[in-house]
Amino acid sequence: MDALLEYAWVVVALPLLSAVLITAVGKQLPGKGSEIGIAALGISWLLAIGIAWETFVNSPIEPLERAVDWSPLGGGFVFELGILVDGLTAVMLLLVTTVSFMVHIYSREYMKGEPRYTYFFAMLGLFTFSMLLLVVANNLLQAVIGWELVGLCSYLLIGFYWEGKSNQDAANKAFLTTKFGDVGLIVGVIVLSAGMFGLTDTPFNIIEINEAAFAGQLSTTTIVLGMLLIFLGCISKSGQMPLHVWLPDAMAGPTPVSALIHAATMVTAGIFLLARLFPVVAQSQAVMATIAIVGVITLFFGGLLALVQDDLKKILAYSTISQLGYMVAAIGVGGYAASIFHLFTHGFFKALLFLGAGSLIHAVHSNNISDMGGMARAMPHTFWTFIVGSLALAGFPLTAGFFSKEEVLAAGDIWAGAGFFTGSLVFWVGLAASFVTTFYMARAVFLIFAGESRSHHPPHESGKLMVGPLMLLAVLSIASGYLLTPMSPEAPNFETWLATPILDEEATFPFTGDGATEASPGTVTGDGVLAGAASPAPLAAAGEDGAVSILHGVPYWNLTKLAMVLVLFFSALFLAWRFYGKGLPERDPTLQMGGFSRALVNKYGFDDAGYRYIVVPVRDKLSAAATYSSNVLIDGVVAGVGRATKHAAVATYRVVDQQVIDGGIHGAAFSAAWWSEKLKRIQSGDVQKYAGVLVAGTILLVLAFAAAR
Amino acid sequence: MDPNTAGWALVVALFLPLVGAGALTLMPSSMDREIRRAGVAITAVGFALVVAITASFDYSRAGELQFTTDVPWITAIDARFSLGMDGISLPLFFLTSLLTLLCAIYTTKHLPSPGKPKAFLSLMLLLQTGMAGTFVAFDLILFFIFFELTLVPMFFMIGMWGGPRRDYASVKFFLYTLFGSVFMLVAFLAIYFQAGANTWSIMELSTMAPFGSTTFQTWAFLGVFLGFAIKVPVWPFHTWLPDAHTEAPTVGSVLLAGVLLKMGTYGFIRIALPILPDGAARFAPMIGVLAVIGIVYGALCCLAQTDVKRLIAFSSVGHMGFVMLGIAAMNEAGIQAALFGNIAHGIITGMLFFLAGSMHERYHTREIAVIGGGMLKKMPVYGVLFTYVAIASLGLPGLAGFWGEFAAMWAAISPGLGLADSYGGLYLGLVVFAAIGTVLTAGYFLWLIQRVNLGEPPERWADEPLADVQAIEWVSWLPLLALILALGIFPRLVFGVQDAAVTNLVGFLGG
Repeated sequence: MDALLEYAWVVVALPLLSAVLITAVGKQLPGKGSEIGIAALGISWLLAIGIAWETFVNSPIEPLERAVDWSPLGGGFVFELGILVDGLTAVMLLLVTTVSFMVHIYSREYMKGEPRYTYFFAMLGLFTFSMLLLVVANNLLQAVIGWELVGLCSYLLIGFYWEGKSNQDAANKAFLTTKFGDVGLIVGVIVLSAGMFGLTDTPFNIIEINEAAFAGQLSTTTIVLGMLLIFLGCISKSGQMPLHVWLPDAMAGPTPVSALIHAATMVTAGIFLLARLFPVVAQSQAVMATIAIVGVITLFFGGLLALVQDDLKKILAYSTISQLGYMVAAIGVGGYAASIFHLFTHGFFKALLFLGAGSLIHAVHSNNISDMGGMARAMPHTFWTFIVGSLALAGFPLTAGFFSKEEVLAAGDIWAGAGFFTGSLVFWVGLAASFVTTFYMARAVFLIFAGESRSHHPPHESGKLMVGPLMLLAVLSIASGYLLTPMSPEAPNFETWLATPILDEEATFPFTGDGATEASPGTVTGDGVLAGAASPAPLAAAGEDGAVSILHGVPYWNLTKLAMVLVLFFSALFLAWRFYGKGLPERDPTLQMGGFSRALVNKYGFDDAGYRYIVVPVRDKLSAAATYSSNVLIDGVVAGVGRATKHAAVATYRVVDQQVIDGGIHGAAFSAAWWSEKLKRIQSGDVQKYAGVLVAGTILLVLAFAAAR
Repeated sequence: MDPNTAGWALVVALFLPLVGAGALTLMPSSMDREIRRAGVAITAVGFALVVAITASFDYSRAGELQFTTDVPWITAIDARFSLGMDGISLPLFFLTSLLTLLCAIYTTKHLPSPGKPKAFLSLMLLLQTGMAGTFVAFDLILFFIFFELTLVPMFFMIGMWGGPRRDYASVKFFLYTLFGSVFMLVAFLAIYFQAGANTWSIMELSTMAPFGSTTFQTWAFLGVFLGFAIKVPVWPFHTWLPDAHTEAPTVGSVLLAGVLLKMGTYGFIRIALPILPDGAARFAPMIGVLAVIGIVYGALCCLAQTDVKRLIAFSSVGHMGFVMLGIAAMNEAGIQAALFGNIAHGIITGMLFFLAGSMHERYHTREIAVIGGGMLKKMPVYGVLFTYVAIASLGLPGLAGFWGEFAAMWAAISPGLGLADSYGGLYLGLVVFAAIGTVLTAGYFLWLIQRVNLGEPPERWADEPLADVQAIEWVSWLPLLALILALGIFPRLVFGVQDAAVTNLVGFLGG
């Protein structure tokens, strides 16, 4: 069955095939092309499940790499097209195909009657393909290609309703903001590959780069510069502050697209790439600290923005930004497995929430929670699945989000225990932000489902094609968490799944923190959160001479911290119930907090500042200046040279030609007569006079030569 | 055809258009339709021959000259009639022939006032010989003659069939490029005398290089630089380009962007670098800086344009900047990138000019604000094509534009000829700014798409019947549209053909 991994490329190819086929013949089919997309994704999904199973039960596995030389690039270097299948790839394949498959099924009903229905399904296929191309890439150049194609597809789908100006703007904003981050990604990839020039003919190969980094063959400059630049790409793609501004606007696209963007494709790309290059990231404390701090800022301030939103999709968008912050922060504090674990569970419950939101929006024809209310009775299935998703997002015990988020906090705790300040930051801020998360989700849930209906349309439950995916995702929003819990300590678990030959049990960070809090020097253990990492197991986060293990081992219960989390959860829930339990309050308390509310409503001024201080100056001022310099200054020089030449030509004609030369000829004629008159006197015929002049001339010449010498 | 002996094939392919031009002039002007068909026939036969040459080209020896002809020509000055092609020449030669054929097809239906297809097509065929000859001439004198031969037909094309400011634009184009050529010719003479081998052969001179003092190399390179830099055009020698493009008829713009500009970059790669490697090494950082200024500056200018065609013209400044950045890298990857960028830009921008021309035919204006959006509604297929080509032009992976841009930046991170040691930081900066240029490029293209393509059509066009893409347009566009995708997915089609030739060429540089 190992042969199954060889077919990972089929998982990637099928969505592309689907896109091509739908474009070609979709309109002629009874399902307008949707059946092709669903069939293709269905097969991809089954295959991905098979690959995930293979890699999971046999984990940790030896990665499978297959590549063909696709093109020479000059200088003997080669661009490969290939696949790299290991646990990380399998996790991503499973997540992407699951969500995409659900979105395909759901869209068949949700998009019914929309214009460009066929085009929509073709784009879904292309979008999924692009993300999968990135996920299976065995080299960074292929990853860049997939990454940029993801960006294009998001542009085309966010701008799906391109008749409206605001949708066009949202699409442009998404593309250009992420394109700005791509400057970092592209230059970063180039810098990393340049570090490989002496070592290999395939300088983009991911395994080779990771191995070179671990073997110390890459210079510190290469690693720090390369990874920080690549991280800039992740900041924009994965919605980290301050380049998160495109993400809430991306809600302009159809809701299934939002689910796809927020759960599986696009925003997870940045986190995935950091995990893929984790052996490089792990070489530099500076890089990790930067990543952690950006993640912490995003997880906290991004989440706060959800408090004041009325648009349900925007609430979910800001919650995505916040959760992505957790994932990024986890990478920064050595939580390689924790980050991807959270990405994995988040993918399911966020897809669930978005599709649930779509179901609600479909029913009331409005995005705003102020237009909903009392929906629980009318839409029971949407209701309970949405509740499951919300609980998972808020990290309620025994849901998937609980286990994965606590894994992130545990990573922070372990990092803090090893003496790194950023660890405490991630732990405490992460804990505080979970209170915010619970509050805004509770606010949304109360306003949507509790109280009386405020809708102008009588709500109704959605059909089977929409409810079915909700149910499956709800199950996964619980079940996916049990891949790494204190209840399942034996391998295989999520962490062994993600282990690679480089990131194995012995792998440690090459640097140590100052003043580990542990009593016994040389042993660093996780202090453990409720689902935190443990020391007793052989996989423990312990190493010799203070080094910190990259894999954390199986989590264990820590009742103190479990209590903290529960207290935070229930206090947030209680607070939300007090404010919103009886329906929409006259004055929403989140908007009554003075300057704080204003800052949130204005989104901290980022969008405004970005438009006012970057877009406008470049688009309107700098461009005008460049054009002026081209048309007036530079072309002025050219025109000046032209004019000068013309003047010179005219002057030449008038002065040199007409006066000097032509005048000379005239003059010559006159002067010849004049001179001949004078000269004829010399020609006297007197030989003595001739001889005298001859002698005088000779003497003059001799004197002249003598003087010259 | 045996590529070792079939030199005749190249000669025929090269001069067939010239003969065809002569034949056309013999046809009576009244046979309007027949003349246009004859134009297609001539270019089609020529293209068929080029396809045959391409098919029988020995790709295992792509680094060596094939289809060579080398006979004495002007013995008094040692000039030889020396033709040949290697992996570097072949793609450009092919592109020239293809674009001319497509232009001839397009002309069967579209020709701006004052008509006169006989004159127009004869000039176009004359232009073709000049352009194609530039890429296969291996004698400096012969090269120079082909290089200059292109000026005259393009001058008349702009001057007779151009827009309102055609007189100004055509004279400016002619004089500006001629101005550069003078310095180039002087530099060629200097090279000839300095080498002292009584030869103008590009290959022999490359083998002998480097010769002469550093001062000689510097001055000679400066001369050659001026000639080619104006043609490319490198910032700040670009100001002839927007005027020429804006005023030129569609076919003129397509050939100008598609082939003429490439003669400059080709000249750098084929002549300036291998014959004057020391001069090239000294100038490389400056070329890199000018290239990146061109990228950013060109993109900024595009943001400010109100005329679609002028915008596309300015986009050429930026795209050719990437080509020059590849050259400034002075290594194999850089030359590969530059040559790929050449081809990709020729196809994509050529196609953009076709589209701009058709837009003008329909709307009778090229002002973005007047068109006012909604093209995707009015002409859905046309709108899709416009988006497709614009996205290709902004360098999206999977389409042709990506490889030239990415590879140029990638190559520039570790420039050859020892430049990495002394200018490593500068080149890193160049890469960063070039990458920022790609964002600006994306910016102006998306904004352009938004303003002409998206949204609802304004009232003035709402009831106007605007025809979607027509049959003749499909025929002349499909090859380009397909190539944009094919080169994006299979970059090997160009990289692979060039690889050995580029290795040999960089061998001359000693890098």
